[in-house]
Amino acid sequence: MSKDLRFLVVDDFSTMRRIIKNLLHDLGYANVTEADDGNTALPILQQGNVDFLITDWNMPGMPGLELLKAVRADAKLKAMPVLMLTAEAKREQIVEAAQAGVNGYVIKPFTAVTLKEKLDKILDAKK
Amino acid sequence: MAKKKQKAPIKLSLKERFGARLLSLSTALEAEDEDAFMAELNSMVRERDDALWTQLRKLTSDLNGALERFQLDSRLVDLAEKEVPDAKQRLDHVMKMTDEAAHKTMDLVEQSGPLAGRIAKEAAEISVFWQQFMSRSIDPQAFKQLLGRIDEFLHSAQKDTETVRANLAEVLMTQGYQDLSGQIIRGVIKLVTEVELTLSELVKMATLDRSEDQRSTDQYHATRGHGPVVPGVDHGVVVGDQVDVDALLSNLGM
Repeated sequence: MSKDLRFLVVDDFSTMRRIIKNLLHDLGYANVTEADDGNTALPILQQGNVDFLITDWNMPGMPGLELLKAVRADAKLKAMPVLMLTAEAKREQIVEAAQAGVNGYVIKPFTAVTLKEKLDKILDAKK
Repeated sequence: MAKKKQKAPIKLSLKERFGARLLSLSTALEAEDEDAFMAELNSMVRERDDALWTQLRKLTSDLNGALERFQLDSRLVDLAEKEVPDAKQRLDHVMKMTDEAAHKTMDLVEQSGPLAGRIAKEAAEISVFWQQFMSRSIDPQAFKQLLGRIDEFLHSAQKDTETVRANLAEVLMTQGYQDLSGQIIRGVIKLVTEVELTLSELVKMATLDRSEDQRSTDQYHATRGHGPVVPGVDHGVVVGDQVDVDALLSNLGM
């Protein structure tokens, strides 16, 4: 998959955004935009310059699950690969995210290897 | 609508209450029986006193309750108006401290990474020429170049490793936030414990039906998220790690 892929990383903590951004850079993905919750992420997504969404769940404003649902409900965005990267560990939540159409679910704390594995899996499936 | 009539306590008539007593008083009076007269009179006064004492006891107990409630209320007002906002500010400060420390650590790591990378790259490049020199297959021109590079490398490696060392020391110092934030958080835990006790006292005074509230709280968290799993706190059915998540998703066909 092309390394020109454009990522949007959504997390309310700037440190976590920075960690994810650095890991993506290490994997060769240099095009990374950031947003701090669903409300700021949606307009960026709607501009159409994002190929891959990585989002946290628990955020002030619009939480990640709502963002995921909004993406799936938007005709232009509904095919967007979405990876949820979150500390939410309740079984029913993971099931709910899966039902809402998430493509991958990584639980925090996570490793660089896990992130790469899940990204590759989603990108391979999209090929 | 008219209020439902409460069953009134049976009220005895004056005659029923005092008739017999007055009769025995008047009999004793007629007979000039002072002992009997005084005994009857004392008995009547005692009865009045008992009623008075009962009323007084009730009043005292009411007053006690009101005072207790007032103390609880004013503590709660104090907690709500001052200490909880203070705690919010203190936790905000903790967030700021951890944020700053994390960013500073990442700055230092990001600064050090390229330095270590540069040293490794230089050493690897010099090593190629060095091997040629060791096997005596290097020409004099390249040898001269090698000496120049080694000289340069020794200087830059010394400078770079010194910077990396200083950065690592700084990373170590940056972790000092844990002590300060720990102290603040401990203070907030103490406050939360007090709020919990005060509120549970209040709940005891006014037994509330909480089932409806509990449902709406659950609904709120289901959408917004619960935050990380904390050991010792009941989170319901949670997954242990990424392996569990993968297994669950694979069961769901993902």
